[in-house]
This record gives sequence, structure tokens and C-alpha cells, in this order.
Amino acid sequence: MPIQVDRSVVGKEYPPFPVTVERGKIKEFARAIGDLNPFYLDDRVGAASALGDVIAPPTFAVTFRDERADAGALLRDLGVDISRVLHGEQEFEIFRQLIPGETYLCRTKVVDLYEKTGKSGPMAFVVRETAITDRANEIVATMRHVTVIRL
Amino acid sequence: MKYAKVAFEDVTVGDELPRLVKGPIEQIQLTRYAGASGDFNPIHQDEAFARAAGMGGVFAHGMLSMGFVAQAITDWAGAGTVRKLGVRFAALVRLTDVVTCRGRVLSKSSKDDVDLVELEVWAENQRGEKVVSGRATVALASRG
Repeated sequence: MPIQVDRSVVGKEYPPFPVTVERGKIKEFARAIGDLNPFYLDDRVGAASALGDVIAPPTFAVTFRDERADAGALLRDLGVDISRVLHGEQEFEIFRQLIPGETYLCRTKVVDLYEKTGKSGPMAFVVRETAITDRANEIVATMRHVTVIRL
Repeated sequence: MKYAKVAFEDVTVGDELPRLVKGPIEQIQLTRYAGASGDFNPIHQDEAFARAAGMGGVFAHGMLSMGFVAQAITDWAGAGTVRKLGVRFAALVRLTDVVTCRGRVLSKSSKDDVDLVELEVWAENQRGEKVVSGRATVALASRG
């Protein structure tokens, strides 16, 4: 019998959380991908660039999480176990580059939940959107994250 | 030159991006990506857990493959040029898989003094199966 997901999570907004981008974290992330671009890794190249510092790779914002909160909050809200979860889709829109030392505010909301039956059986799709703003409350980037739950 | 940026004028619709070949995927890279990204789902680390979950064994984080695709784009367009990148994870990437990232220019446009190039992007494994497929928008500089 397929598991049930708690649909009441749609519309839920998680508490906004601040993230300060760390220089070392950018480099660790780029190196984990094997992307040795000097605009991520080399402080001198960054200092000489138009932005005056190294920048984060395009997918870096996926590292942003609320370190004060329970990392399993979404799964608990949905009532599902991590072993049933897959990453379905991901999108980033980048209006300005994320740079070291800057503090951003992240607001995540569950915007949709739908079910479909695929080759491997019934699945639920949970869509979350995160808005990332700067200290002036201007939008810097957005993320859209589709989590797939094998029912 | 590896990190030279392509200029907007030098891009033609239909152009293919240089292919970026990543892998073979090793467990240590998944462990490293878990640490760097904060995604410690044991399904990417623990063979017994992944089998018990019915996944047939460990597989790579989708976000690692997306990172590869982003690298293919920025190796060509330059760091800091990506305005939008959206992908679907079409198939699992397994240990020992070789992932080839590819892209093609779909269209060019200029708006408010910004020169944009729309790309189809994807990654395929050593059997030619798509593991990632998506779209990207990059802002390119002019040759000036």
C-alpha cells in the first residue's frame, strides 16, 4: 500500500534564516564539484575582477540552510522517511553574484504538491521556492527545488 | 585558453558548447560533495542503506551532476555569467559512471543593454543516456 504524504504542507512558509557566505565554503564547494575556476578559488583573481572578490558557483545556494532548525523539518512535515526521497528538478535564477562576507536572508515556501505515476510507480512531487535577499531586502537569487517521494 | 569568455558576437544559434567530461564517479567525490553541500542523505554514502531503500546501491547527488553542467557552461561563457539554470534529473548517476556535459545555443537576445544567450543543456552517461536535461540563460559580454 502506498504511503500517504501530508498535503497540508502546501503553502507552509519556513522561518526566514540568514546565511553569511564564507570564502572557504565557496572553495570547498567548487573543489567538491571539481570545478577549479580561478574566479571561485583564487582570491587574487577575484580581487582583480569587476566584482572585486571571488564569487560562488551557480549552484552554491543549495548549501544554504537554517542551521538553527532541524534539517529534517520538511520530511517530518510530509510524514516521509529520507530513504524514499529523490531530487527531481532544480532551478536557480541569479540576479547578482553571491560573494564572500555578505549576509543574505532566505525565505522558503512549499508552493505545490502533486502526484504522478511513473515507470517505477506512484510518486509525489513537492515544490519549494526559496527567495534570497540582501541586507537592503533586494532579491539576489531564487531557487526552485522539486523533491520526489516514492510512495 | 581554458577560462577565456566567449563574446556575444561570436555566438551563433546552433553552436555546441565544448563537452565537459567528468568522472568516473568515485565514492570519495560523493562524500566530499556531501560535506561541501551539507546533503548527508545516506543514500549517497551507504551501500547497505541504498540497497535497503530499493535503489540498487549508492548513486550520486543530483546536485553534483548539476554542478558539472554549471561548470560546462561557465568554462565556455565565463564565471558569473549564468542568469538562470534549471534542470530535471532524468536518470541516476552511479559509481564508475562517466558524465559528459553538453550544451547548445537555442537563441540570442538583447534587452536593456544585456546580451543574453539561451542554452539547452544536458548531461549523459557513458551509454549516451541523459542523466540531466535543462535550460540555461547566460549574459555575455560584447567583444567591445
